[in-house]
Formats: sequence, C-alpha cells, structure tokens
Amino acid sequence: MATTETLILDEVIASSRRRMFTMGGAALAGLVFGSTTKANAQTTLTDTDYLNFALNLEYLEAEFYTLASVGETIDQIGIGIGAGTAMTGGGTVTVKPSGVASCKVPFAIPAVASYATEIASEEQKHVTFLRGALGASAVAQPNIDLYHSFNTAAAAAGIGPSFDPFASDVNFLLGSYIFEDVGVTAYHGAAGLLTSKTNLGAAASIQYSPNQASILAVEAYHAGLIRTVLWGLDQATPAAGIAAITVKISNLRAALDGTNDDDIGLTKVQDSLNGTTANYTASTIVNADSNTIAFSRTTQQVLNIVYASTTGAKGGFFPNGLNGNIS
Amino acid sequence: MRNVDDLIRKALTRRKFMVGAGSVAALSAVGCSHNFQPQTTPTNPVTTLTDADYLNFALNLEYLEASYYLIAATGTGLSAADMGTGAASVTGGAQVPFTSAIQQEYAYEIAQDELNHVRFLRSALGSSAVPMPAIDLVNSFNAAASAAGIGSSFDPFASFDAFLVGAFVFEDVGVTAYNGAAPLLTSTTYLGAAAGIMAVEAYHAGEVRSLILQAGTAYVGYANQISALRATLGGGNETALSATTVVACNPTNALAYARTPSQVLNIVYATGDGNATSGGFFPSGLNGNITSTIG
Repeated sequence: MATTETLILDEVIASSRRRMFTMGGAALAGLVFGSTTKANAQTTLTDTDYLNFALNLEYLEAEFYTLASVGETIDQIGIGIGAGTAMTGGGTVTVKPSGVASCKVPFAIPAVASYATEIASEEQKHVTFLRGALGASAVAQPNIDLYHSFNTAAAAAGIGPSFDPFASDVNFLLGSYIFEDVGVTAYHGAAGLLTSKTNLGAAASIQYSPNQASILAVEAYHAGLIRTVLWGLDQATPAAGIAAITVKISNLRAALDGTNDDDIGLTKVQDSLNGTTANYTASTIVNADSNTIAFSRTTQQVLNIVYASTTGAKGGFFPNGLNGNIS
Repeated sequence: MRNVDDLIRKALTRRKFMVGAGSVAALSAVGCSHNFQPQTTPTNPVTTLTDADYLNFALNLEYLEASYYLIAATGTGLSAADMGTGAASVTGGAQVPFTSAIQQEYAYEIAQDELNHVRFLRSALGSSAVPMPAIDLVNSFNAAASAAGIGSSFDPFASFDAFLVGAFVFEDVGVTAYNGAAPLLTSTTYLGAAAGIMAVEAYHAGEVRSLILQAGTAYVGYANQISALRATLGGGNETALSATTVVACNPTNALAYARTPSQVLNIVYATGDGNATSGGFFPSGLNGNITSTIG
C-alpha cells in the first residue's frame, strides 16, 4: 500500500501532470465543443441503428466476395440472413442471368484467388459477428443487386455500358475496389466509430467503439491489399488502363457523396517529403486526406454511394433500400 | 537525487501499470483472444494520463516510422523543424538501392504519409509536443533479427525486399497501437483522427504484407519470424503472413487486434523485461509520460 513517501511523490507527479495539461490545454480546448455538437445530432439514433447500418454493408460485401470465390450466396454456405437469429427470411441477391454459380470468378492469378477466399471469409465473419452482437435486433439482409448496380455504376463513371465484376481477376479487383474504400469511410464516419451510447441516457456522448474500429482496420487492410494488387497490375500492363478506371470510380463516389474531393484513385502524385520542392513521384495506395488521415463519410454520404444516387434515392446495390432505421 | 529519481520512476511505473492493465481488461471484453490477462483489475484505471500523453506516445512512434521511411526513400531523415527543439538523433539507415520506379514510388508515398502524421500530431499538440527521441535503426534490427532467429544481423536498407521486412516490423504494430490507445482518448476529435491514422497504418500494412508475398518465400519467412517475435513480446495479437492471411486479425471474428501502450513498448524496446524504460529502436526511451513497460 501507499506509504507517506509515495503519497508525496504522487502529489509531485500529479502537480507536474496538471502543469503539463495546462500547457496542452490550448490544443485541446476547442475540441470539446465539436463532440458536443455531434452528440446532439445523433441522439435520435441508437447503437443498434448504427450496427444494423454496418450489417447491411457487410451483407453486401460478404455476398460479393462469397459469390466471387465459390459461386454461392452466404445463406447457401450456412450464414443466417434473416431478422434476429433466423437463418432464413432475408432478401434476394440479383446476379447476372447466367446464375449464381457463374459468379465464381475464373481466376487466372492464384494469388488473387487466395485474396478472394480470405476476404470472403473475413466479411462473412463480420456478418456473423455483427448479427451476434445485435442478437434479436439484427435486421434481415435486404434485397441486394450485384448485376444492374455494376452496369449502372460503369455507365455513370464513364467506364462503359456494362461491367461484370465476376468476369476476370482484374474485374473482381475493381469490384472490390468499389466496396473497400467505402467500408473504411463508413466505419470511420458516424456509421461505426462514433456511436451514441443510449445507455448513458440524457448524458449521451460519443464514444469510441473498439469493435467497429477493429472492423475499420480490417477494411483498410483489404483496401490496401486490393489497391496494391491493382496498382501492380496497372504498372505491369499500362495499356489496360486499370488505374484510370479506379480514378473514374473514385471520382464517381466523390460526386455521389456531394464533396467531389474525398476520394483518390490509383495514380501518381508529386510529394515534397523532407524537402521543399514537390519533386518526388509517389503512388497513391492510401486513400486519405492532406494530413494522411483516412476520409470519413456520414451515413447519408455512404447511402448516396451504395444507392448510386446524389439524392439518396433507394437503388444501386440496394434496390429496396437498407433495412433498419438508417436508410 | 538518484534515489529520488528512482522512487519517482517506480511511482510512475505503478500508475502506468494500472493504465496498461485496464486497457488489457477492456480488450479482453471485446473478444481478442490472445491478450495476456492482468493479475489484478484496478477499479479506476484511467485517471492519470491525459490525451496529450497518448498523442505524444503516438508521436514517438510516428517519429520512428517517418525516420525509417524518409531515410530509406531519400537517405535523409526528418528536417529539424519536424523533429522539435531538443531532438536527439537517428543512428544508421541509408537510401535503399531501389531497382524500379514502382518500388521508389511506394517508398516515397509511405514516407510522405508518416511525415504527415508527425506534422499532424505536432500541430495538434502544439507546445506540448515532445521532440524526437534517440532512434536506433542499426542495433535494433540486428538484435531483432537475432532474437527472431533470422541471423546475427539484418539490414533493412540493403534492398527493396529487405526494406519491406523492415516496414513489416512497424506497420502491424502501428495498427494495434492506435487501436489500443484510441479508446483511452477523451476528445472526440482526437478519437476520429486516431482512427483515421489507424486506418492509414492498416492500408500500409495491407500493402506491405501483399508486397512481401510477391517478394517470395524467403522474405515471407523473415516476416513470420518477426511476427512470432512480436507475439512473444507484445502479448500475442499476430497473424502469420500467407497468401490467405494477408490481414492481421482475430481469426474468430475478423476484428483487428489491439495492444496496450505497454505491449507496444515491449515490442519497440525489444524487451521481455517487465520494467524497461528504453531499448531496441529507442535506446534512450520514448519522450513524454508513457515510457515504461508495465512492472
């Protein structure tokens, strides 16, 4: 137990900490108000709402990667898609006319096939994890469209009249590209990280959600992986124009969310590094702002992207909208 | 004075133990399976350290990463303005002999990213920002190579592939460090920033891990020897690299790992000692109030 001696030392330490805090206070002072504002803005939505919002996105990702890797939907491999703990009763998945089995990508690059298997497994676990966390409150899988959605997006992005993400290694990677950066920004934004803790009642405040932050990190691992592989393929075969397509996808996402400047495709930029002249040609594997902090999107901005609508009208990957209170 | 210093250090260590143990308890609750368990759970663990302490802890790690990548990319480390008044120096390091433009462009990008993180944190901390501590990029890697069973020495600046293994040492640790420290922050703005930096470290980790796979089995082997060493030093929290495990996450629920500041210090100090205040990449310890592994 504490002796008189250590108690005195504790006071010395506490005093020095207070001084240090005072010094640091200038940097910290203005930030409290920001958190208060956000807390007030979100008091009508609960943790359950944000978790269900995330669950809708995970259903989408898990279906895409599972179809790409094995040619089956997630309910076919034993993952529940119904409301609460029900295995069945979820929405449908619309795929190309040749059917679900034809969505298994004819991978020519073994590494890409492995990546598809891994990411499918991880997105399936995210679905299972979120359903487990939500229990009886889990929403069912909404109707998902992985056919018209990609064609519409390709047309809107100026890539062409149609796009089959299950047709080849590169197309699969480009389809993945569409999802992963969005997942990062969604979890970084209000959807996941900064949730309103309703159990704190009137004192509701925004808290860090370790679980969703941990999913955020995994989505960023996926994005880093997908972007690195795409960039490598682009640089090996420049004529294919792979990087140019990612720029078009990024531009489309930025246009849909209304900012026009929060999404960076695969390209080359000039950096200054530790000098004063921007004469270092660098890649853009990381999708982040000028402080190299990942972008974040509000739930509405994410909805605009997955609905493929600047006004948030239901459509795109979710023809009937998301299930739950954020839709 | 020496005795008084020791007593202060011990008192600090005791408090930091409480903080560290509390974080470990919190992590256990979210389902990370490989965290070691504290022997006791304090009732009020997070009361003595401020947001500035945690941001300075992160700043020390960013100084290390930025120095590594800048020297590897350009041969020169942080500028004086980016190190702060009273900064110590970096031992070792040299420009990597890149053999293609794409290699160089990867290195330039990550160097700029980590430099931006240093600048962001220094700006956020203002006058509270600690200067760069002494950083060792020679003996640290040699000792790590020896401890990991790779060999008696390892020069991450010798080739692009070796550089990737050096990067591997840092990036997954960065993810776990931010994921573990962020919940301890009280400012919502800093929470958001910390999460955003964590995401960038995860982008880097995904990039580096996939490039090591391309470098071939020898380098995958080195990376996994490093990973095993980190698991020993840092409380588990590792996923061996393979073609189907590019992501480092809990295999049960695919959630990324988190480490307490103490677990992170055990890795960057390269020590299994429960009461270390320096070593490894930081031969004089970190600057700031989070410097000691738990007692």
